[in-house]
Amino acid sequence: MKLHLKIWRQKDTKASGKIVSYELNDVSPDMSFLEMLDVLNEQLVSKGEDPVAFDHDCREGICGMCSLMINGQAHGPEALTTTCQLHMRKFKDGDTIVIEPFRARAFPIVKDLAVDRSAFDRVVQAGGYVSVNTGNAEDANAIPIPKENADLAMDAAACIGCGACVAACPNAAAMLFVSAKLSQFALLPQGQPERERRALRMVDQMDKEGFGNCTNHYECMASCPKGIDVENIARMNREYGFAFVKARSKP
Amino acid sequence: MSDRLNSQIPSGDIRQKWEQHKFDLKLVNPANKRKFTILVVGTGLAGGSAAASLAELGYNVLSFCIQDSPRRAHSIAAQGGINAAKNYPNDGDSVWRLFYDTVKGGDYRSREANVYRLAQESANIIDQCTAQGVPFAREYGGYLANRSFGGAQVSRTFYARGQTGQQLLLGAYSAMMKEVDRGKIKMFSRREMVELVVVDGKARGVVMRNLVTGELERYAGDAVLLCTGGYGNVYYLSTNAMASNCSAAWRAHKLGAFFANPCFTQIHPTCIPVSGHYQSKLTLMSESLRNDGRVWVPKKAGDTRAPEDIPQDERDYYLERKYPSFGNLVPRDVASRNAKQACDDGRGVGKSKLAVYLDFKDAIQRDGRETIEAKYGNLFEMYNRITDEDPYVSPMRIYPAVHYTMGGLWVDYNLMSTIPGLFVLGEANFSDHGANRLGASALMQGLADGYFVIPYTLGGYLASSKLGKVAVENEAFSAAVGRAQDRIDKFFAAKGSKTVDHFHKELGRIMWDYVGMARNEEGLKTALVEIPKLREAFWSDLRVSGEANNFNPELEKAGRVADFLELGELMAKDALERRESCGGHFREESQTEENEAKRDDTNFSHVSAWEFKSVGQYELHKEALKFENVKLTQRSYK
Amino acid sequence: MASYFSSSIGRKHILAFTGLALCGFLVTHLAANLLIPFNPQAFNTYSYKLITNPLIYVAEVGLVGLFLVHVALAFWLNFENRAARPQRYVSKKNTGRGTTPSSATMVITGLVTLVFLVLHVMNIKFGAHYTVTYDGVEMRDLHRLVLEYFSSLPNVIWYVVAHVALALHTCHGFQSAFQSLGFNHPRYTACVKALGKLYAVAIAGGFAFIAIWAYGRGGV
Repeated sequence: MKLHLKIWRQKDTKASGKIVSYELNDVSPDMSFLEMLDVLNEQLVSKGEDPVAFDHDCREGICGMCSLMINGQAHGPEALTTTCQLHMRKFKDGDTIVIEPFRARAFPIVKDLAVDRSAFDRVVQAGGYVSVNTGNAEDANAIPIPKENADLAMDAAACIGCGACVAACPNAAAMLFVSAKLSQFALLPQGQPERERRALRMVDQMDKEGFGNCTNHYECMASCPKGIDVENIARMNREYGFAFVKARSKP
Repeated sequence: MSDRLNSQIPSGDIRQKWEQHKFDLKLVNPANKRKFTILVVGTGLAGGSAAASLAELGYNVLSFCIQDSPRRAHSIAAQGGINAAKNYPNDGDSVWRLFYDTVKGGDYRSREANVYRLAQESANIIDQCTAQGVPFAREYGGYLANRSFGGAQVSRTFYARGQTGQQLLLGAYSAMMKEVDRGKIKMFSRREMVELVVVDGKARGVVMRNLVTGELERYAGDAVLLCTGGYGNVYYLSTNAMASNCSAAWRAHKLGAFFANPCFTQIHPTCIPVSGHYQSKLTLMSESLRNDGRVWVPKKAGDTRAPEDIPQDERDYYLERKYPSFGNLVPRDVASRNAKQACDDGRGVGKSKLAVYLDFKDAIQRDGRETIEAKYGNLFEMYNRITDEDPYVSPMRIYPAVHYTMGGLWVDYNLMSTIPGLFVLGEANFSDHGANRLGASALMQGLADGYFVIPYTLGGYLASSKLGKVAVENEAFSAAVGRAQDRIDKFFAAKGSKTVDHFHKELGRIMWDYVGMARNEEGLKTALVEIPKLREAFWSDLRVSGEANNFNPELEKAGRVADFLELGELMAKDALERRESCGGHFREESQTEENEAKRDDTNFSHVSAWEFKSVGQYELHKEALKFENVKLTQRSYK
Repeated sequence: MASYFSSSIGRKHILAFTGLALCGFLVTHLAANLLIPFNPQAFNTYSYKLITNPLIYVAEVGLVGLFLVHVALAFWLNFENRAARPQRYVSKKNTGRGTTPSSATMVITGLVTLVFLVLHVMNIKFGAHYTVTYDGVEMRDLHRLVLEYFSSLPNVIWYVVAHVALALHTCHGFQSAFQSLGFNHPRYTACVKALGKLYAVAIAGGFAFIAIWAYGRGGV
């Protein structure tokens, strides 16, 4: 099939970017979206032009490195799908496809379609862990954990940190990402000793990074390739409130 | 046997070796640890766990990763699980049994002492990860669930849905982030190691290319840890991530680190087949599918009928036919080789004819669609997403794909390479899996190395070495930067007509055809002619566009493929040299009457460690393998 | 405490809390107004008792406070949300699985409600002062004022439009407030959402009904 591509090109973080049009012929419906871009890049390189920069790595939907706003939707039109798992059979011959980077103040553009998501790392640094040094652990079966809680924690932990929630959110909020991490630990006994500190610090860091606020549209959940639920955001809202009160009432 | 290779294996009973060794290793005074800087390259399970554990001890750690975040290393893609000799199910597992199974599974080409230590530490890993909040699967009683994996006779595999690698990696990542917050780890992402710096014979630094700015950055330290994964991408198509590469290891190899058993690669039998020339990677489907799926091809060569139209008596369920007792559950290498054979006989299916069927029809009839959906729903969905075919209705098509490399930089018992101060952890080293890795053992090894081995052995090295200060202004650094810069200049200077991927695909074809699932002398010799030719073409006809001082994925790929073009040749050399079949290395000249791998323990019970002399020129050193605790037998799955 | 009021979540809590409190106010307001079509005397007497109670000033200040905080926070958050994406998308499409017409229009429906309220207070609270005497007690005849106001078609249309906006605003706002305060559970969230829709329709419908009824009656 033949496609008209409109791709955001931007030399580096500081440069201003623009949409550039490309025509691509002989696209196979069995190609993945990124393989389609590979083909485009092969052509650009052959012509001596600068290939389109985009982030990708595992290409099996788990590393969270790929991104892209495809026709205005994070990871494209398919629910529960990362860009690398999106296939061209979802498009039609002659389609025009607009490809942009994930946009948010907290995600500066590195080049073209690649963005810097290190804000997520800094949020995790603020408390997305259990402070247990290697060697401290007791036997893994010493604390039984109800299966329901373990399953809910796993649901939250399935987040791949791709940032689609931020990209899709009308407010560029990172609540789904942050709440997924907070929830995982809030649901497990191992997370209890640092529970309040974690909630306060991670939310504080999230705010500092310049993400927007949640207005409960739930576009994040709808765009999340792993289907992380907004129940986690409600849990974070709870956690934060309790943490604030508890932190003030401590001796 | 080479005197250059001292494995440093402690003496004494195998059960006591590691305990005794830990006691014998010199310690670094707690107050002195902060005076040491450790460079950790890679943030997968091995690198992440090592960086975190060393920082916790008080060392200053500089950690580097190629992705935009340390949370994305390819360990994340491991699906199945992690083995540990916990014996929670009370089914007869023990450290000894895990040790024994791993040595046997590796077809007796690994070091007993290393494997025993791995089995010992396996239980600690589960404890540590659980304490980190890794949400392992649990039973209703709240205790950890186990499953049997890859044909093991005991249930010793811990798992977190089909995302065990992800959860373990995020555990190590979170431990790292904790130390970044404490200021003990400095994290550098989007960096690729382009040179190792050796000063006075010791590894003392690295040169990193900042992938965003293109700058060649210098970092000095007291030791370097390479945790950079395997080299499966030498085949172009593999289940590895796009950025997985051998370059860091290859830089070290060229400066004196021996490369061990490079020809030992693992081919995974259940991957989604290639669909076209544009294909960029292969997707693995969990091995668990073989528990219920039946593998078959048409009996007649060139049969183009749809699978539903082929009657039962015209189908060849070849694994069940040839291996009546193991059937579809034969080990990975056996399943892979048989699939290749069926396709070589012209009985492959699908458009490409390079696939076999994995059929769930009988299982669905027997257990009902719901049961199958509960077990494999997510895998069926993934298959459907990629191929647009419904495996509930028509059989899956599968084909083997390169998945893991058992070979890697040679290390001693302390995980130190032949360059003092250069340690190699995880898939990047060769140490624990012999000629074939068992399912759910890769995660175990990466984490054992990082959490429980290196914190001791690195201390031993630092405490017993005289390490002066080395600054990044040192001329060794300038020389290394010069080498890196020269290479980059050369990529742009070629100004040829073909892209990096063109050469990579061509290399992949040669490797897959001649150094793939089944190898023979003639093919390997062909590869040894074709690879150098391709390398020459690469340097004269390569075209790299873009700029050196900007984010430039084409330039990155060029660097990696240049190294693969050298490594591929060494793999062929090693495969040619090893005139026996063992594990994943199948030499057609060395097989039993039943077409099974035939080892030659008299002549090849050794590790082949290759020393780099010049491009294409290597010297072979052999480390003899002694088996004092396990009895060598020929594998049989009849 | 300052950190709570400046944090994203703290402010969401307050926005949700003030929103729900205002929802509560609307219930009492509608309950009283529903007396209008049925019993003018009861309506005027109720109003008289309400406005002659000295505590009314405290309540009014409280109500105005809730309202101002709600509006101010909404503006503040909205301003930040816009700043969080300085470069807009060239092309942006919702998934169809998240944003609803009600959630997408919160800012505009909020603004309409704000304008409506200012006019409403001017027209009614500070409107014409008619009096009526029941059982020897002279009191304000709000009933007459209301009927007079709704005898004008433009007034009725504006009133109904404003209440459609209010319905949209509370439809998202009601369930959203529960989420913001941390109440979201598979067991009751569907219920909260349904209740929110019911609330929006009932409240806005109730008020609009009175306006239309009054117009239909054709003045005092």
